[in-house]
Amino acid sequence: MQTIIDFPHSMWISQQTIRFAFHEEISHANFHAVQAFNRFLTKQLRHNLIESVASYHTVTAYVKQQVDVDLLRRQWLEMQVSTAIADGTNRLLKIPVCYDEEFALDRQRVMDYTGLSFEDIKRLHMSKSYYVYLIGFLPGFPYLGELDAKLFVPRLKNPRASVSASSVGVGGGQTGIYPVDSPGGWNIIGKTPFDLFDANGKEPFLFELGDEVQFYEITKQQFWEMKSKGV
Amino acid sequence: MKPLLLVTKQGVYGSLQDKGRYGYRAFGIPLSGPMDNVSFHAAQLILHHFHDQTSFEMFVGGFEFEALADSIYVLTGGCCTCLVNSSPIEMWKTFHLTKGDRLAIKNVSQGSIVYLTPLGGFHSEYELGSSSYLPLGNLGTAISKGSILYGQVASPLKMNRGLYAPYRPTFASSITVRMFKGPHFELFTEESQRLFLQNPFQFIGGNRMGYYIKGPTLQLQNMQDILSEATQFGTIQVPQSGNPIILMADAQTVGGYPIIATIHEDDLHKVAQMRMFNTIKFVLEE
Repeated sequence: MQTIIDFPHSMWISQQTIRFAFHEEISHANFHAVQAFNRFLTKQLRHNLIESVASYHTVTAYVKQQVDVDLLRRQWLEMQVSTAIADGTNRLLKIPVCYDEEFALDRQRVMDYTGLSFEDIKRLHMSKSYYVYLIGFLPGFPYLGELDAKLFVPRLKNPRASVSASSVGVGGGQTGIYPVDSPGGWNIIGKTPFDLFDANGKEPFLFELGDEVQFYEITKQQFWEMKSKGV
Repeated sequence: MKPLLLVTKQGVYGSLQDKGRYGYRAFGIPLSGPMDNVSFHAAQLILHHFHDQTSFEMFVGGFEFEALADSIYVLTGGCCTCLVNSSPIEMWKTFHLTKGDRLAIKNVSQGSIVYLTPLGGFHSEYELGSSSYLPLGNLGTAISKGSILYGQVASPLKMNRGLYAPYRPTFASSITVRMFKGPHFELFTEESQRLFLQNPFQFIGGNRMGYYIKGPTLQLQNMQDILSEATQFGTIQVPQSGNPIILMADAQTVGGYPIIATIHEDDLHKVAQMRMFNTIKFVLEE
């Protein structure tokens, strides 16, 4: 990818927070721009950066002291070429999902909304790979986009009091996985045997921003085998 | 690590908090940490802690403890009645508890949040670099009736220490705080922008995640969705109801409601200490 990415619009949110915004849309171009810019900021701001949070079109940087935006802009222009070359560092993660009725709590609702058979729904859900566009809402919750438009189903009007950890859901134009037991309004269509969040693990989170994710189907027996092995 | 206190009566809400869980917001883990940084830090200074240690943060009191060992403590934050074996003691000054003593934190009359900090801080396992309790992520240790609070080994204090009365923070029933325009400020109607800047809002309840305030209803020019983006302690979101929510220390890391403003970091402690029906007014920091 050799397109030059414009320097994002910057704005101080508070004394110690600066927000950089690209065009307000969910798109692959934005995704790449945000990823590249987030890496650039992490490198450029070094010890001044407490941490940063990337979203669909913004990078919000929490800093210790004021940042010289003009200097950043010049550095960004100089670094464009190397950023373009450094792209493609994303991991591809293959995630097993059991779509069995026992786990697919909203099977009927998704079928009614989409007018598709559950076989077609599974097929479409597995037909493409997704990117982790955003992590938030719950510890390690990945917002995966973009879902095939045919699978668009609004979120539940009354969220469930508790959705069990590792449940796979769809909501609007996205799909996602619940990392912990929590209330939630996404339409649940399956469950993965993987744990997404382990506070005491060496790598506490399964997903990282920018990961490419592909789902594949497993049977209930495979689900419990994988689960017991603690993969 | 030694057992210090047994919780004999549970109050409204209490949790162990250290400075916060830094470095994991990109993974959806809230920052947490103390709601009222000023009272929290005062405790650290009084106890001569070189680093911030873990305090027990209480909302509007109600907690009672039995001492399981001798130790030194300090109480900071909202003004409340504190009793040791039924005799009142002063806040903002170190005090001693002997094994078997009973400590009661009674009604808070000014402010709403109180910190109990022992010399050396409380002990709690670090998870993701912090001992702060976060119920949603099951991080840190939950404290309720019957729980034991553990202490850390600390070098003794040579004398009683405290803050002189004129230096202690006071908590007014109506506050004015500085704020910055949010990324979606311009999306609100001019009328709403004006009402937001000119009118006081009333605190109507909340918790460590968010405070609800009520005043003139704030409306967007067009009912439109915005893309979720990063939020923080002090972010003022406006959901469709038109009543703002101030995100607090356990704020979720990203949010999808329009952000009208963000409160200045240095004024957050005043916001945290608001009580039911207190009022808050916003002034723009240019």
